Amino acid sequence: MIAIRNLKKSFRNNTVLDGIDLDINKGDVVGIIGPSGTGKSTLLRCIDRLETPEEGEITIDGKTIPLSKHDRKQTLELRRQTGMVFQRFNLFERKTALENVMEGLVTVQKKSKQEAKELAMQELERVGMSAWSEHYPKHLSGGQQQRVAIARALAMKPQLLLLDEPTSALDPELVGEVLETIRSIANEGFTMLLVSHEMSFVRNVANRVIFLDNGKIVEDGTPEEVFEHPKSQRAKDFFAKMYLMKQPEYTI
Amino acid sequence: MQILAETNLFDFDLVIKQIPDLLKYLPVTLELAALAMCIGIVLGLLLAVIRLKKIPVLRQIAAFYISIIRGTPAIVQLYIAYFGIPMFLKYMNLNHGTNFDISAFPGFACAVFAMGFNESAYNAETIRAALGSVDRGQIEAASAIGMTYPQMLRRIILPEAMTVALPGLGNSFIGLIKGTSLAFTCAVVEMTAQGKIMGGRTYRYFEVYVSLAIIYWAVTIIVEQLLKFLERRLELPEQIDKAATSEAERQEEKEAENYKYDSDTKFEKKLSEQYST
Ligand SMILES: Nc1ncnc2c1ncn2[C@@H]1O[C@H](COP(=O)(O)OP(=O)(O)OP(=O)(O)O)[C@@H](O)[C@H]1O
Ligand SMILES: [Mg+2]
Repeated sequence: MIAIRNLKKSFRNNTVLDGIDLDINKGDVVGIIGPSGTGKSTLLRCIDRLETPEEGEITIDGKTIPLSKHDRKQTLELRRQTGMVFQRFNLFERKTALENVMEGLVTVQKKSKQEAKELAMQELERVGMSAWSEHYPKHLSGGQQQRVAIARALAMKPQLLLLDEPTSALDPELVGEVLETIRSIANEGFTMLLVSHEMSFVRNVANRVIFLDNGKIVEDGTPEEVFEHPKSQRAKDFFAKMYLMKQPEYTI
Repeated sequence: MQILAETNLFDFDLVIKQIPDLLKYLPVTLELAALAMCIGIVLGLLLAVIRLKKIPVLRQIAAFYISIIRGTPAIVQLYIAYFGIPMFLKYMNLNHGTNFDISAFPGFACAVFAMGFNESAYNAETIRAALGSVDRGQIEAASAIGMTYPQMLRRIILPEAMTVALPGLGNSFIGLIKGTSLAFTCAVVEMTAQGKIMGGRTYRYFEVYVSLAIIYWAVTIIVEQLLKFLERRLELPEQIDKAATSEAERQEEKEAENYKYDSDTKFEKKLSEQYST
């Protein structure tokens, strides 16, 4: 189990995360939803120590690591146990798809080139990108880049995979291939925190949904509970706004 | 030309004839420039990282160092190195019991260090800008897979920053080749110094300087071409062949294309009705 305790993060006078507690079971796929600017990205970034919170700690793999203190060794250890998939892919521009996936295996896990290459090829196959292994990011479509980025994160065998709106920088016709990739890895039992605005996808793939608002977890339950029977007014308003915007699609 | 030849005012043949003699000293010039450039790049990178990472104390020292170097003429720095380094070694011998052979420390080394230090201050800015131009996303991605900063620097940041810094560093290398003509201050006989000696012998100073100008110009053109070649080498390929796709992957691709989670449109519709009322 992964436990996050009392996570607090402010940007100056703007409190973004106000004491978040979160327990994640192994194999859980937790969907995180909420209005824009409530700190969904900040939550994931704090967990990966890309952002330094004022308070909070995480227990992962039986070890408790404070998130607020900057300890180089502990930060590296934490990052080695978590994987991150970014909204804008963030592939290494001067490396091929294969080299992107191999990079962590070679430099961080100190595997031999040969072994890293084999493992990386397997990961590329998993996301359906093995035919593009020699391509550089600039040769790949956004959806393909994101699949390579997912392979890069998976290759490190993370205890926890963090995905921050993995499809929101993609053209609509490319969203499907990435969602399908995420769904298939979710089925393989990876523990994931998934921030997404694709509500129906979250419902489909997550076994637990969290609604974040004003720095707090406002709703927490199964997709049915949160989407269909939200307890808070904030969540109801959010869904109402969301689906009101979408409505014309269905009335045609 | 007729008048020039008759009056013996300008001896063009001499200009050409002297070139081989001067070229014998070209290796000295190039060695000076190359070694100074190495120091300039390594030290410049160090200064750039110190300033970029805002490392306390070192950062102030770096700023002070750059300020001094940029605020003094290169020729003064060369003289200071030429007289200062032996003095420093003497001081070490006297006070710390070391046993440096001062007379063996050549002017050549003084010139290399002085020019290398000078170069480093200017390269620091070029390199810092190049390092800063690497997009934050890649750095975050490298952090997220657990790379340390030195690993990131070597494997991700530098390869990309190098392509940005190359034109600027190339330019300063060309400047440095010509700047080596100041090495006479450290009693180094390189190409220009040799030219002066030859001019002193024949009193044909004008001709010898024209010869030198031709050589420097040619060297610069060659270096420019080398840089262009290097830049092209660093470019990523335009297009790449796709490898064969396995049957399983083709299947998956099809699946992905069709993956529109059709059941969900029903779900969205249901919710939209629920919330719109
Ligand atoms: N570096 C920063 N400096 C100051 N404020 C920041 C910084 N990063 C984020 N914020 C603020 O923190 C808040 C939360 O941002 P965050 O990106 O986590 O929101 P989000 O829930 O991911 O939103 P979205 O759905 O639009 O991606 C926002 O109000 C944002 O302005
Ligand atoms: Mg966000």
